[in-house]
Amino acid sequence: MKKHSSWISALMAAVLTLVLAVSWSQPAQASGTLKIGMEANYAPYNWTQTTSANGAVKIDGTSSYANGYDVKIAKIIGQKLGKKVIVEKTQWDGLLPALTSGKIDLIIAGMSPTAERRKAINFTTPYRTSNFVVIVNKQSKYAKAKYLTDFKGAKLTAQQGTLHYDLIKQLPGAKREPASKDFSAMRESLEAGTIDGYVAEDTELTSFKMVDSNITGVNLSKMKGFKVSSSDAEVSIGVKKGNDQLLSQVNKILAGISTSERNKLMKEAVQQQPQTTTKKENWLVSMLKNYGQMILEGIGMTLLISLVGTIAGFFIGLLVGIVRTIPEPKNKFKKGLLAFCKWLLSVYVEVFRGTPMMVQAAVIYYGIAQFWHINLNRTVAALVIVSINTGAYLAEVIRGGIISTPKGQFEAASALGMTHNQRMWNIILPQAIRNCLPSITNEFIVNIKDTSVLSIISVSELFFVGSTIASQSFQFFQTYLVISVIYLFLTFTITRIFNLIEKHIEGPENYNMMANQVQVGKQEGDK
Amino acid sequence: MADYKDNEIILNVQHLQKAYGEHQVLKDISFEVHKGKVMTVIGPSGGGKSTMLRCINLLEDPTGGEILFHDQNILDENYNIPRYRSKVGMVFQQFELFENKNVLQNCMIGQELVLKRSKAEAKKIALENLKTVGMDPYVDAKPRQLSGGQKQRVAIARAISMNPEILLFDEPTSALDPEMVGEVLETMKKLAKTGLTMIVVTHEMAFAKEVSDQVLFMSDGYVTEQGSPDEIFNHPQSEKTQKFLANFRGPQI
Repeated sequence: MKKHSSWISALMAAVLTLVLAVSWSQPAQASGTLKIGMEANYAPYNWTQTTSANGAVKIDGTSSYANGYDVKIAKIIGQKLGKKVIVEKTQWDGLLPALTSGKIDLIIAGMSPTAERRKAINFTTPYRTSNFVVIVNKQSKYAKAKYLTDFKGAKLTAQQGTLHYDLIKQLPGAKREPASKDFSAMRESLEAGTIDGYVAEDTELTSFKMVDSNITGVNLSKMKGFKVSSSDAEVSIGVKKGNDQLLSQVNKILAGISTSERNKLMKEAVQQQPQTTTKKENWLVSMLKNYGQMILEGIGMTLLISLVGTIAGFFIGLLVGIVRTIPEPKNKFKKGLLAFCKWLLSVYVEVFRGTPMMVQAAVIYYGIAQFWHINLNRTVAALVIVSINTGAYLAEVIRGGIISTPKGQFEAASALGMTHNQRMWNIILPQAIRNCLPSITNEFIVNIKDTSVLSIISVSELFFVGSTIASQSFQFFQTYLVISVIYLFLTFTITRIFNLIEKHIEGPENYNMMANQVQVGKQEGDK
Repeated sequence: MADYKDNEIILNVQHLQKAYGEHQVLKDISFEVHKGKVMTVIGPSGGGKSTMLRCINLLEDPTGGEILFHDQNILDENYNIPRYRSKVGMVFQQFELFENKNVLQNCMIGQELVLKRSKAEAKKIALENLKTVGMDPYVDAKPRQLSGGQKQRVAIARAISMNPEILLFDEPTSALDPEMVGEVLETMKKLAKTGLTMIVVTHEMAFAKEVSDQVLFMSDGYVTEQGSPDEIFNHPQSEKTQKFLANFRGPQI
């Protein structure tokens, strides 16, 4: 087993190296820029907006802008360091790997310097200290809680991977619901009544109150028996371990920002954060007006990745399928070489079919940066991942197509004196591919939908765009409805197009010269 | 009719054997094929007729014996098999036209790829042969648009477009509806008259008797008896041959 797994890792390494050879790359830390990692989805610390209003900073790789308390702090740091601030919009769970792999220089994302995180990265002195609250509906019986025990029976949650989620344990009898991915989802759950409340910081309460007057917060920090280390109540800037120069520089800058200035910045941020639009306008019109460009870009990205991924995957699959069906040569050396190639390819197919694409994306995108110190362009990484993944599936589809082509077609071609290659390219593959077309269409459609998992490496495809819009407009149902209609439209159109192609290849059922319509009954003679 | 043995020997099969694991299908097969002559192979089902035919163009690998083509053993390791196959045509029971090609392309592709003929030349030859088999009005048809008899005639045109020295027929009419057998047999008779060397595995006794110069009776993996049609059909020596032919007596012969 051990030997086997080392082979697999060797193969993975080979594949990754190959991937690098064909894709362009860029140095991890360009000298004149300061790359900041944040969710851009955690108002008032950070959020996404469509304009550069209020001094927002452009988000790398998109046409959107980021703003918020974190961005304001980042700009001060950038200014003092003499570097241009670039915002890398990154999902919460992707922030640490992005920092350790060198994709970003600093995490400024409202992150608390917990002991667990300190094991992986270093933190600066805090740039804000906050209180913890349980956010509940005003009418809720928990709204009047005075003691920690008053939350008995309450269904509570908090953001996944945050300190908040652990804090629920300090509330005796509270039911800890599965952790949520982001605040917008928790707001929605609270409004929908699926949870009784969620644990967050006071800033979240302030900003939520601005859009929903029906909620209130119960301050935990003042309750008797509530224990939280001072470092947990603070938010700090994450710096990669070993980068001590940057750490001390940032600490020096933070020391120069007074508490009153910090409070002023936070107040600005709370006021500037996105508000729900006035309800006078039709929601669809306002969504298209505000986010139309973003949605179009998302559609473009989804189509680009799925189309290129399917085509490249098809050629990978074709190649693998062909090699795996080469007949055994008589020469002993060739026989061994072929057997080895076939085995390698079957490992490739098994590995990429047997692991989720989301995991592959994380491993390849962050892994390459961490171990090879090469910063792969996000879109390139997405294209490579989808292509390799599709290739693994289509390899089996095409192999099946080749195998299921009637043996007689091979034999008739052999009997004419064709070589193996001539047989494959002229007779077998055209038929095999035609028979595989429905499966290839299928794979294309799966790709259109499955590119949504690439949000883990923050590729701004349709779903990623959708969740950004939803969290900013707070119109969850409407946004996802629009997004799903777009997905349906895309997949439906593509199905139609491929059906037409199939029909075209098939040709008419009858030949116009045909006089005799009698069909031949198949029967097996002696063989 | 002059004795078929006067003509030069093209193909000489000596002690041919074929086994699938333990199962010995061909035990000891020897015969000679003479240029310009028609040999039919008859015998009960399961006697190894088709296997023998498939060994001749190496669709099956023989497990013993020799096959000499113009005195050279085709089973030698360095023998150019694709080149040999291009000289030995084959017509299959199930036609096996290339489903992705139309009638004309079916007859051209081997010429272009294997014989390296130009497109124009290949087309000219293909059209001539399609005319011979009466399928020239269907040049643009796809195989699935044709009836069985039509498919088999195209398959014959495809085979003769390669200008083979020998043409093998593996029960060419067995998969056909009865009313289509005639058109294919007529085409084959026409071919036989052109002086093409043919080996025909068949159950059409009337055809065998009328067209062949040499008849091979095979059963249980052996050549039980061989000779002229007159010798086999009118004066069979072996008990097995007599018994087999008795079943065909009646309207057929």
